[in-house]
Amino acid sequence: MKKDLMNILCCPVCKGDLELQVTREEGAEVIEGTLYCKQCNESYPIQDGIPNLLPPELR
Amino acid sequence: MTVRIYRDKEFELLEGVYDPGDDSFLLVEAALKDIRAGEKVLEVGTGSGVVSFFVKDVTRVIATDINPIACQNARLNGVEVVRTDLFSGICGQFDVIIFNPPYLPTSEDEKLDTWLNRAFDGGPDGRDVIRQFLAGVKRILPIGGRVLTVFSSLTDIDAVAELYRQHGFSVETVAREKVPFEVLVVFKCVRLS
Repeated sequence: MKKDLMNILCCPVCKGDLELQVTREEGAEVIEGTLYCKQCNESYPIQDGIPNLLPPELR
Repeated sequence: MTVRIYRDKEFELLEGVYDPGDDSFLLVEAALKDIRAGEKVLEVGTGSGVVSFFVKDVTRVIATDINPIACQNARLNGVEVVRTDLFSGICGQFDVIIFNPPYLPTSEDEKLDTWLNRAFDGGPDGRDVIRQFLAGVKRILPIGGRVLTVFSSLTDIDAVAELYRQHGFSVETVAREKVPFEVLVVFKCVRLS
């Protein structure tokens, strides 16, 4: 995913802002990483360039 | 992996993902007619990514799907995709939301335990996911924003129109196609209130 997608992503549970942590990037694309919701203390993975914003019970 | 061609462009289809049908292409055409460069566009339930694949030549599109294979498929087709349930992990405001929902009436014993089932299964009257969509869409669609959505006479066209109107949308039929055993319809629904 492109980093500017952070502008329109939010925690699916509380709709709060997410913090991006990049593990692997290729150019402007984040390939692996996490999106962390401080409010819920929940991490959402970015795998193969795709952010997974499903709450744990739905994954 | 299969290749499909439409409008002289090739795109990929993965197994376990909705194979674009007449409904998909009716929506592609309606979207290309309606959407302008610079508009903020979200496609919900993108499947293979086919609709966004064409619309992204006009303006940037972000797409979602709950099916992990669909997300991979859309990404293979160069579509910016987020895995989420409808738009639950999406915030911000959009000008246009494109939506080809699961719209087939599906009884409990017709349900399949596959990701692909989610592409078809609209619950007993076919309108469960449409209702779920309408319950939350105003969070990301301001007054004046619009939804472009395709579905079938099997879903009950008047009932869908009524759902949108109840939620404060105007409803206009912008495309219509007769196919074997059903009529496909694209609605343009503008948020009025």
